Amino acid sequence: MDFPTIISLRASELDLGALLAQITLPTTGAVAIFTGMVRGKTSRGNAHETDYLDYEAYQPMAETKMRQVADEIRQKWPSIEGIAIVQRTGRLYPGTPTTLIACTSAHRNTGVFEAVRYGIDRLKEIVPIWKKEIGSQGEVWVAGHYHPKPGE
Amino acid sequence: MHKVNVLFFATLRDYVGSKSVELEIPIGITIDGLTDLLVAAYPNLGKVKDLMMAAINREYAADEQVVPEGAEIAFFPPVSGG
Repeated sequence: MDFPTIISLRASELDLGALLAQITLPTTGAVAIFTGMVRGKTSRGNAHETDYLDYEAYQPMAETKMRQVADEIRQKWPSIEGIAIVQRTGRLYPGTPTTLIACTSAHRNTGVFEAVRYGIDRLKEIVPIWKKEIGSQGEVWVAGHYHPKPGE
Repeated sequence: MHKVNVLFFATLRDYVGSKSVELEIPIGITIDGLTDLLVAAYPNLGKVKDLMMAAINREYAADEQVVPEGAEIAFFPPVSGG
């Protein structure tokens, strides 16, 4: 059976139940999910409040790079069955999920937690998406730090 | 000379004031050379020149890479999705 890979860069809400159904196989016994949320109040570092985030993507490249993240997960953890990588774009308010990485496997001790962790870290490094934060500090583009190598 | 379409995202789009521009560029010009042309045309970009990353046909490009004819070029700052 082919292992399902779901890549979705979308403005609309995501349905976690429907997504899980798509990456669950008869052999699946474990799912790990990471969801990023819009944080309304930040206390770590420079304390401030956020009204909303505006997400922007270089759509075709972002989809290609999201697929690459999934491919890298499969190379590192061959026991992973289904993979879903979802990122929302547009205006998102506090308490809203922004991104979701989910991996399924037969058992929980097969790298499924590590795979999800790798997925979100890698998305934040190489997938061309940016967010502008609007709140108590005015309008501020959130700065990334990673410079991918050519072809990475 | 040949024409390329150059896309800008996030802060760079704000500095350029446009999502994309069509440019006539010399054949054989590198990403480095194209960056210098853009900074000359849009001086605001000078402030963020060190942060500018480039993609050629939707793949991260090296500074010394030659811009192919008809390519889709994009410039943007380090990504901040998630």
